Amino acid sequence: MTERHVSVENLVKTYPGAAKPSVDDVSFSLPRGEMLALLGPSGCGKTTILRMIAGLVEPSSGAIRLNGREVSGIPVHKRNMGMVFQAYALFPHMTVAENIAFGLEMRGIAKADRAAKVARALDLVKLTGLGDRRTTQLSGGQQQRCAIARSLVIEPELLLLDEPLSNLDAKLRDEMRDEIREIQGRTGVTAIFVTHDQDEALSMADRLAVMSAGRLEQIGTPRQIFDRPETEFVASFIGAGNFLNGRVTGAGEAAVDGFGTLRFVGDAAVGQDVRLMVRPHRLVMGGAANSFTGTVEHIVYRGQILTMTVRSGQTRLQADLHTHAGALPEKGQTVTLGVAPEDVTFIGRAA
Amino acid sequence: MRDRGLILALLIPGLLAMLATFILPMAWLLRASFSTSTMMQVGFTLEHYRAALADPFYWKVALNTLTLGLTVSAFAVILGYPIALFLARTTSRWRGVLTALAVAPLLTSAVVRTYGWMVILGDRGVINGTLQSLSIIDTPLRLSNNSFGATVALVEILMPYAILAMLAGFGRLSTQLEEAAAMLGANPLRVFWRIVLPLSLPGVLTGALLVFVLAISSFVTPRLMGGGRVFVLGTEVFSEATVTLNWSLAAALSVMLLVLFSSVIVIYQRALRRLEA
Repeated sequence: MTERHVSVENLVKTYPGAAKPSVDDVSFSLPRGEMLALLGPSGCGKTTILRMIAGLVEPSSGAIRLNGREVSGIPVHKRNMGMVFQAYALFPHMTVAENIAFGLEMRGIAKADRAAKVARALDLVKLTGLGDRRTTQLSGGQQQRCAIARSLVIEPELLLLDEPLSNLDAKLRDEMRDEIREIQGRTGVTAIFVTHDQDEALSMADRLAVMSAGRLEQIGTPRQIFDRPETEFVASFIGAGNFLNGRVTGAGEAAVDGFGTLRFVGDAAVGQDVRLMVRPHRLVMGGAANSFTGTVEHIVYRGQILTMTVRSGQTRLQADLHTHAGALPEKGQTVTLGVAPEDVTFIGRAA
Repeated sequence: MRDRGLILALLIPGLLAMLATFILPMAWLLRASFSTSTMMQVGFTLEHYRAALADPFYWKVALNTLTLGLTVSAFAVILGYPIALFLARTTSRWRGVLTALAVAPLLTSAVVRTYGWMVILGDRGVINGTLQSLSIIDTPLRLSNNSFGATVALVEILMPYAILAMLAGFGRLSTQLEEAAAMLGANPLRVFWRIVLPLSLPGVLTGALLVFVLAISSFVTPRLMGGGRVFVLGTEVFSEATVTLNWSLAAALSVMLLVLFSSVIVIYQRALRRLEA
């Protein structure tokens, strides 16, 4: 990550009259060609960051750099960024081809070149032959494709996508998810997209920036975010988790109720109270390095997986186990669960 | 089937009211325009239409009316457009109040507002009085008792309708489209010409049509501001009916005014359909 194509430094946005900033001291950077997801619950400031990068919202303080150059003095129409809006924002009084050609026209590109570029863009998003349609005659997925083509045809420095899949039905969403990723990969454009959907973020992005209440909680690859969450917010927002309190008794070892000694990955000083997290689907039947024996309190058979709550003393663990045709645990039964030390994540000091 | 009966039953009061207040008077008007008597409905003649069409004065009146309607609607729309656009786009919490203010003039009668304009534009009015006391002019400017005064007053009186109609017609306008255009490289001027203006055109046309129809059928303002020197179809119908007591000619002129309305509405709808296709 030596080359910083886009970087955001100490970005703050406080709306007039608001008690707390919507975006609070956020910094991150992207190398060329990377796809970053800004992920967080609604109102966490992710869209505001996207709009500040686009120039649609003025930052209260901080810097946004493109190729090392500060962009805050550059008006929206000169930033050369592509934006795919949540509701697509296609121009209703123009055809698909006219929509796509709009940005080229604004750049003063000759008509013949425009037509060739539009044709290529239509091809890229698989809308070949639909250039003469009115945008209102397109299906949701086609409108989405048209919006992507329109923002890519101008060969933007940066592609911004605001909740790009939220207006599509579930089946189309999976299809477009792969497609956006593929188009981004093929064009090599640096991209930032905003989403509240963790599946979308995990499957589409090279890296995720998880936000909460205006602050950047953690930024990392999907695996880092999922397996090594650094804050409790990240751990609970992405995926499900069993949160455990313990006291460190040795290197990578903590005393946790129900487990006795729980071995984990992470640096914590002996004697420190820590917060640890185990994903329900990482628990297995039968003891391992870490074993937890308790009574099955609650059980739901869900076909592919079996979700059960196992209790020992005051500690309850949720486990998602793969089902099989043989005997399965039943309610009231005493079972032993195990988890590998690398699947036990150290989140931080206990509050 | 029962539903259809119910719908019909629900429609009857409205239809009866329409019949009594619109259809019957219109039928009476049409009948009167073919009457051989000037005050009663008897016989059948095309004489009143012939008289109206053969008289160059009425052609002049029709032309005056059309000119007045077009001028007034053009100015009302041009002056009202920025206000309507502002009201449509503002996110201010005063938006409701501001909209009410923009249409508040409708709360006073056109007669009162016309008198207001007479005070401002008259020979001894505010403008002439001020200019004369400052010795900028010797003789008063001819601001009223002519079609200029009538036009100015009508533009002001009818502008709230234009603003309301345009506001209602700005439905396809959205700030997101403007943002999208800006992201694609359009400067503010081009955003306006390529996005805002084309998308607000249906509202502009509706506003223009409404003002046009109200302007060509207006009577009080052209009469008072024109000082009897502005002849439009509205004032002529009035004087034929009340001064000359030639009801049949008045009816014939009314029917011609109606034809003028209808043709404008047809042209308008054609244009709108093309715009929204």
